[in-house]
Amino acid sequence: MRYLLFFAILVAAAPGLAAQDPRLEARLDPTTRAVVAALVDSARAEGLPTEPIVDKALEGTTKRASSDRIVAALRTLSTDLRLARGALGRTAPDGDVIAGASAIRAGASPETLERINGVRGKAGISVPLAVFADLVARGVPADTASTVILHLAEGGASDADYAGLERSVTRDIGAGAPPGASAAIRARVTTGDVGAATQGGPPPGVPVSPKDPKGKPSNRP
Amino acid sequence: MHDDDQHDELITRIADELRTPVALDPGFDARVMAQVRRSARARWRLALRWWTEPRPLRVSPLGGLACAAGVAALFVVGLVSLRPASPSPIHEAVTPGKVIAAEPGTEMVQFVLVAPQASTVSVVGDFNDWDPSRTPLQAEAAGGVWSVNVPLRSGQHQYAFVVNGKEWRPDPTAPRAVTDDFGSPNSVIVVGSKST
Repeated sequence: MRYLLFFAILVAAAPGLAAQDPRLEARLDPTTRAVVAALVDSARAEGLPTEPIVDKALEGTTKRASSDRIVAALRTLSTDLRLARGALGRTAPDGDVIAGASAIRAGASPETLERINGVRGKAGISVPLAVFADLVARGVPADTASTVILHLAEGGASDADYAGLERSVTRDIGAGAPPGASAAIRARVTTGDVGAATQGGPPPGVPVSPKDPKGKPSNRP
Repeated sequence: MHDDDQHDELITRIADELRTPVALDPGFDARVMAQVRRSARARWRLALRWWTEPRPLRVSPLGGLACAAGVAALFVVGLVSLRPASPSPIHEAVTPGKVIAAEPGTEMVQFVLVAPQASTVSVVGDFNDWDPSRTPLQAEAAGGVWSVNVPLRSGQHQYAFVVNGKEWRPDPTAPRAVTDDFGSPNSVIVVGSKST
């Protein structure tokens, strides 16, 4: 009888102990916490990173979102993480899976992730996908941003190249250029598809200043 | 009386004999100590044999199952508690102007908000568990400019400002996150690609 009791206590306690996170304990109500713990356990069992799920729950509770809304957001995030893991493979680092999920949420397809991952190999995809999400956030259409990021990967672009593209597009948009056109042309410049002279030109879509007597660009990025 | 004299003489002889010093063998001490050590070693051997000698152990099937389940449960709990944290959040706010070397893989990022009417401003994001008490901004001398430097890991981060403890504001100088799960938009920042 003593053995039976011992067995029952251990079996009942083990999953609970595994799911405990002090941040959730402190900040979520018991009902939401139970659902979140179940989602975290499920993600862990699938080999998905769990930190983004905990983080999203904390964001929701800080913003005083309802339990239903928090759980819905977590389910969506879990789906994105699952899609990213499927596209990137079981051995992909958690950081890449998280970046992949963000990119999928921003409009990238799992196929695009798979292709970028295949091209980049050991160089990793965190930076390209972070730049993708940033470009979309700045107004570049998701399909254009996907094409641009993939184009750079196939051209052998480094992380620094992606950072340079992001800075250039940010400057162009600040100068009034259409985000999509800026991203497309800057990507071609980065991979050498466009002559070097274009690098010093005006942002794509921005007309040359009429006050410039020689028609030279007056608003260099 | 004669018997008494004989008795006294006998006692005296015995006493003299007993008072005579006995010449001990020079190796006597060594032999005694060797015997003592042998005895101690024997105790160790006995204890060792208790642990190493096979012996029958009687356990009921239910008891064995309970023990196995207990070991398995402790193993699983141990594995979970030993798992390295995925991206570890940064918990410390940095006083503006204080020069602090960012750890490898991180960059120092300055968050700035102009809020002349604010009495408190903090930044919350995926780098501080969205906790408004974690990273308060410091007010500059004049102009309502609030700022803080925070070391961030490479990658994309979402964040927002909390003004006066209740008003959520995205960063006006940064792009907004494409999605908004909870009805107040976040801002996006990409960290880490500059140094690579």
